[in-house]
Amino acid sequence: MKLLSTLRAFFDERLGLEAVRALARKKRVPNHGCSHFYYLGGMALFLFLVQIVTGILLSLYYKPSPDQAFESVRAIMTEVEFGWLIRSAHSWSANLLIGVLFLHLLTTYMMRAYRRPREMTWISGVLLLGLFMAFGFSGYLLPWNELAFFATRVGTAIVGVIPFIGDHLLLLARGGEDVTGDTLARFYSLHIVVLPLVTFGILGLHLFLVQKHGMSVPVLTAADGEHRTPSIPFVPHFLLRDMVGWYLALALLAALSALFPWELGTKADPFASAPAGIKPEWYFLFMFQTLKILPARLGPFEGEVCGVLFFGLCGLVVLLVPFLDRGGKSRMVLNVLAALAVAFFIFMTAWSWFSGPGQGVRQIMLGTLLVAVVLFLLIPFARAHSAARSAVYVCLAISVIAFLSASGWELMR
Amino acid sequence: MTTAYRRLIATCQYFLGVLAILVTRVTFGQTVDLPADYSCSLCHRKQGELWNENTPLTDESNMAGDIHWQKGLRCHDCHGGAPTLDKFKNHRDDPEFRSVRLRTSIPGFCGHCHSSIETMRRFAPSARTDQEAEYWTSGHGRRLRASSRDDESRVDKAVATCVDCHGGHGILAVNNVKAPVYPTNVAQTCARCHANQTIMANRTFNDQPLGHDQFDQWRRGVHGRALLEKGDLSAATCNDCHGNHGAMPPGVDSVANACGTCHGKIANLFAETRMKHKFQEARLPGCATCHGTHETIQPSDELLGMEGTSICARCHNPQNPQYGATVAGEAAARAMRDRLEQLKDQIAQSEALVRAAERLGMEIRGPRFDLRQATDALTNARTLVHSFKPGPLEATLGEGLKVTDQVQAAARAAMREHTSRRVWLAASLVPILMVVALLLIYIRTLTPPSAVEPGEPGSAGH
Repeated sequence: MKLLSTLRAFFDERLGLEAVRALARKKRVPNHGCSHFYYLGGMALFLFLVQIVTGILLSLYYKPSPDQAFESVRAIMTEVEFGWLIRSAHSWSANLLIGVLFLHLLTTYMMRAYRRPREMTWISGVLLLGLFMAFGFSGYLLPWNELAFFATRVGTAIVGVIPFIGDHLLLLARGGEDVTGDTLARFYSLHIVVLPLVTFGILGLHLFLVQKHGMSVPVLTAADGEHRTPSIPFVPHFLLRDMVGWYLALALLAALSALFPWELGTKADPFASAPAGIKPEWYFLFMFQTLKILPARLGPFEGEVCGVLFFGLCGLVVLLVPFLDRGGKSRMVLNVLAALAVAFFIFMTAWSWFSGPGQGVRQIMLGTLLVAVVLFLLIPFARAHSAARSAVYVCLAISVIAFLSASGWELMR
Repeated sequence: MTTAYRRLIATCQYFLGVLAILVTRVTFGQTVDLPADYSCSLCHRKQGELWNENTPLTDESNMAGDIHWQKGLRCHDCHGGAPTLDKFKNHRDDPEFRSVRLRTSIPGFCGHCHSSIETMRRFAPSARTDQEAEYWTSGHGRRLRASSRDDESRVDKAVATCVDCHGGHGILAVNNVKAPVYPTNVAQTCARCHANQTIMANRTFNDQPLGHDQFDQWRRGVHGRALLEKGDLSAATCNDCHGNHGAMPPGVDSVANACGTCHGKIANLFAETRMKHKFQEARLPGCATCHGTHETIQPSDELLGMEGTSICARCHNPQNPQYGATVAGEAAARAMRDRLEQLKDQIAQSEALVRAAERLGMEIRGPRFDLRQATDALTNARTLVHSFKPGPLEATLGEGLKVTDQVQAAARAAMREHTSRRVWLAASLVPILMVVALLLIYIRTLTPPSAVEPGEPGSAGH
């Protein structure tokens, strides 16, 4: 015991741990009907840590060259002890992370947590979402399998349609005219060096701002004044609840890895024709499907160019939400746009995910399931016993019934 | 001819020579080192000073690519005569001059060098020197000799000699892809005459009409498609079965030998069968009876057995047996086909299992490699079909089936391993959810926080 006290005194003197302990004792977190959404940030952070650990382990064996990439991933899955688990965890946690970040963004918007003085927290969060999507895009190519290769070819080709700079960006992204070993080297470097460095910087800023400004309280709850909102101590009350979120994320990760193990696929053959059903990761499907259905020309402009510019504009609007929300009509316009964006995302994702013929029932299943999830998230934001809450319940019930009906129909077919 | 006139001619020839060198260099990038007073160019080129309408011309544009030219041989090396003006004699007065005006003299003209071991040793030591002798034994050679009967005016001008296939001036090396005797061009070269209805009309061999559709048949056949469409130079073309310089239709008895040049193992198996003797008795050409002659059909397993398009059923038909075909042969054909199908089916199943395991990222490279042995066994079995006995086939197919059993067992083990991973991963949910439950219980036991802590609501740190 004496040794422990000595060590504590040693580190206290040098690292100022007492100040940290004091902060932990003093820190409190608002406790209200929407406070469960706070845990999404913690889950995202936990999944990011899983990404780092599994990514480091994978990098010990991965070889970023067209001749060896696929073989090295196969070796990871077949020869390295628990390599299959590490790869599956890395792939699934990446997808879960993006999913959690989408929900985090959505609930943050619903809570209007971007209000002054948290504009920079919002902007850094949106940038982080963009960075993690870039992580996903760059990591998708690395196993150098057939699906990844052709999806990357399609994905990078979209960059080429950006007016004026598209050709240069395409050349920069691919390192040549086509997806080759140079592209693989660039994506690998981006995935394990450039993006992590930028992410650490912005994530640090994001966490600092969360710490500086504290958790935002939703408008409804804070109507009587933010400082009168009930709160709980950060340690241990909030920390333990946050840990429950981490464990639930871990459980979801294990369940997904068990139910849908990440496959190795077939080695990419750059000279082969693209196989049918090439798709990007699920979080790019809404963009992919939109660009796919756009006509070649929209008036005097190329369809693809319009699509890319549209999504660029959407991204800019999301980034600038704190400044566009001036209250009153502007807020109403933003809410309508947000609802349309979510509906568009769900519709296009469901359409693209099950894009083959005779897949309509499955499209309805996925679409209604996602709508139900969003409506479920909306419940705390409608006042109890109000018409809005009733409307949410009715819509939720319709979605669930539609989902169950479609599922039953699909099972009976 | 005065001295001044001779000098003038020599000067003109010099400039013509320089011009020819320049033109050839520009056109072909080759060096032509004709001496300025080279006698042949005086008459046999249009620019030649002594050329007239009756003098045969030489197309010099082809010469630079000519294999003889490239080896350093010039006109006089083949045609004889004096190469320089000073020693030039009229051809009629020059005993050294070798004429090619008579078609019957062409083989001997080429054979002057190509039949000479000493000469060929200098230029192409591994080249054969019996082509001329072979030629005279060929259908072409015999017909040429028979038609002339010492009277050149009666000679059959449609009969091929050396120059008809190889060309006259501008003869390309046989390994030059543009040469008319390069494997991919041989059939077209033969077809110039043999696909010509006019030339081939009324021509017979051993009292059988020669026909004129062999080229079209060959082109549609497995060999023609392999050579012309896939560029497979090992695929048989005319000369591979009929011979080159000694070209002759193989007789009924020697068809199997012709095919056996490439398909040696099959020919050996066939040679030991009763069917071969039956074919000989019935005067049926060995392999060609089942597989076709020029339009050789694509071999497939469907040719074997008694159903559908099978060839065995043609003769082993129980209702109408041909050439003494037996019921035992019918049973053998059925048995062989069934066993082949069994191995094919097992290989397909093994392949599907291995591919599924591969997609899942399971270690399956060993069984994948072993599966080749089963494919090899199938190939061997298809060859052994030509023994027309199920016995030899059985052993080979048995080896293949043993391999497929092992591969399938390994693939299924890999799939089970994959399933077991998933089960254990799912089982890990239990401790995780237990921790969650314990945490929730512990959280409930914590002292309820005070409802409001004024002044410090939003300082949570994450």
